[in-house]
Amino acid sequence: MNRKRALVSDTFKVKKRKTGSEKFGVVDDHGDGQGDIKSTIMDLMTLFPRKLFNDAVPQIVLKHQLYSIHDKTMVDKEVNKLRESGSLLMFQLGFDAEAFGLVFASDYKAKVLAGEEGKVTRATVEKFLEKVVSKCTDLSFSKDKMLREFLFTDSEITQLVKSGVLTVRDAGSWWLSIPNTGKFIKYFIQGRKAVLGMVKKSKYGEVLKDDLEQRRTTSHVKFHIKYHISDIVGAELVESVPTTSGTLLRYVDS
Amino acid sequence: MLGFLTARQAGLDDPLRLRRAESTRRVLNLKLNPDRDVDRIHGNGINSIDIETIEGRYMLSGGADGVIVIYDLENYSGKPQYTCKAVCTVGRSNRHVHKFSVETVLWYPYDTGMFVSSSFDKTMKVWDTETLKPAEVFEFESNIYNHHLSPIARKHSLIAVGTKNPKIQLCDLKSGSKIHVLQGHKAEVLSVRWSPRYEHILATASADSKVKVWDVRRASGSLFSLDQDNGDKSKSSSEAVNTAHNGRVNGLSFTSDGLFLLTTGTDDRMRLWNSATGENTLVNYGKVCNESRKGLQFTVSQGCSPEFVFVPCGSSVAVYVLHTGELVTMLRGHYNNVDCCKFHPDHQELYSGGKDGNILAWVPVLRASDMEEESDQKNKGSQGSLKGFFSHLY
Repeated sequence: MNRKRALVSDTFKVKKRKTGSEKFGVVDDHGDGQGDIKSTIMDLMTLFPRKLFNDAVPQIVLKHQLYSIHDKTMVDKEVNKLRESGSLLMFQLGFDAEAFGLVFASDYKAKVLAGEEGKVTRATVEKFLEKVVSKCTDLSFSKDKMLREFLFTDSEITQLVKSGVLTVRDAGSWWLSIPNTGKFIKYFIQGRKAVLGMVKKSKYGEVLKDDLEQRRTTSHVKFHIKYHISDIVGAELVESVPTTSGTLLRYVDS
Repeated sequence: MLGFLTARQAGLDDPLRLRRAESTRRVLNLKLNPDRDVDRIHGNGINSIDIETIEGRYMLSGGADGVIVIYDLENYSGKPQYTCKAVCTVGRSNRHVHKFSVETVLWYPYDTGMFVSSSFDKTMKVWDTETLKPAEVFEFESNIYNHHLSPIARKHSLIAVGTKNPKIQLCDLKSGSKIHVLQGHKAEVLSVRWSPRYEHILATASADSKVKVWDVRRASGSLFSLDQDNGDKSKSSSEAVNTAHNGRVNGLSFTSDGLFLLTTGTDDRMRLWNSATGENTLVNYGKVCNESRKGLQFTVSQGCSPEFVFVPCGSSVAVYVLHTGELVTMLRGHYNNVDCCKFHPDHQELYSGGKDGNILAWVPVLRASDMEEESDQKNKGSQGSLKGFFSHLY
């Protein structure tokens, strides 16, 4: 492969920077700090269509969508920091072992309580949110943990499952989950397949990212196409190649 | 670059800094060079490559046809165009050649008089390089996937062997015994590696998704098993905890200082572990394509900063930065799957072998000399010393 510009290690890079950067082609985002990851999460959340679900579902961003914008290890570290501080919650979405959904804690609590208005299970859910979600950063809970540490009874656990806050994982263990996300996941998978199909059917199985963003989407794609693009790039279902006319997305046969 | 040299001359900089900077520059410039070639002897795929550590001159390769070849990597011809010739071969006509494919070949760590090869014909042979006859043959009951000799051992001369059997056998070179067995895995052992830091520490990877670290002096079992979630049971996707990967673990490599261990698995992930505590450092390399049913030989650079990992990924070799997980480049050149690669630390070269039967040498691109420097009369004295410094790289 003939690379016209050689890879240069940091120690040899010229210290002087040119005034006024050229904007054509790839815009490099590396070297951003924590504030930027949080702002990226918020940007991605604006792409999430709330009206589609009648405001019942909080805005969800998938962790691998961040990989398409920032350095992976840094994203992992920052997300863990935010989780430790309690402002961000992570969920196993269930359709892929590696797909983790991120929701702001305040958002999550508000939506869950709003959904529980007037229901019998409200008190249990409130107790769960206070005791468990605020303090524990786990993704899943096993039966003895629930019974011993958090002092929930069996019937309370059943109520939590009914309300959608816990989903069955194995006999005696549950995932933390977001209620009413069935539709979200269904549309998400549909949309992901449709966008991937668009890339695959293009000539040579590749399409410029800017071009793909301009295309008209079929009725299968319910979300903003940028949401799906950051998803397929981050999950490495398409290869992202930098070119002089922008980023090229090439379908990966796997 | 001249800044580094003057700082080194004046004593402002540590000598190691210049060496590291230049090594890193060379590794980043690895390219296929039309001038450097390796003799093509193997008719089938190449499963394993090893370069001896004493002189860095001879390379061993073991192929799927059972043939073992020794190449001379040094260029004494005086010309830049050089083909690494095969010095000797254990070919199909040799009486003692392996019957089936050779999976691993390794030089004896202390001199090139001996090398060890293991194969799918259930034997491991210790060869005398001079006569190309096996000095010792160890027989096993099942296919041997991998074996390794400790590069620093002074108190023992054990060869760790990973076979289809979940038990790891330790064969003693001095006495010829193979009674020492390490039990703990539940499926075939695909890769074994001794630590380059402590002569009694051994890491083994198995198809049961676990990687265990052993101290061979201890009778009671492994020291610990690597856990990808670092004990956080809630993260794993199923109840199978304590696994290093979500699939078979088929590649193991210690970094040259022995502080970190890298593992690759068929779940398309590569993980970096702290070898003392067994903690997953959670460096995210992304998707490292891995479809190999047997072991994968990958390598880590030495003497650069930052260190690089060279992993065979399909038909190319992917180069990642070790501690940040960033993909630097993909070295493309092979026609079929790449099975093994080896880094030559003295010359910062990479040799990779694959199913197409070729061994490719990735050589750093030399600096282009400036036209102005050559014609400048005044600086001739200092340039003479500069050229002398780089002449050993040709």
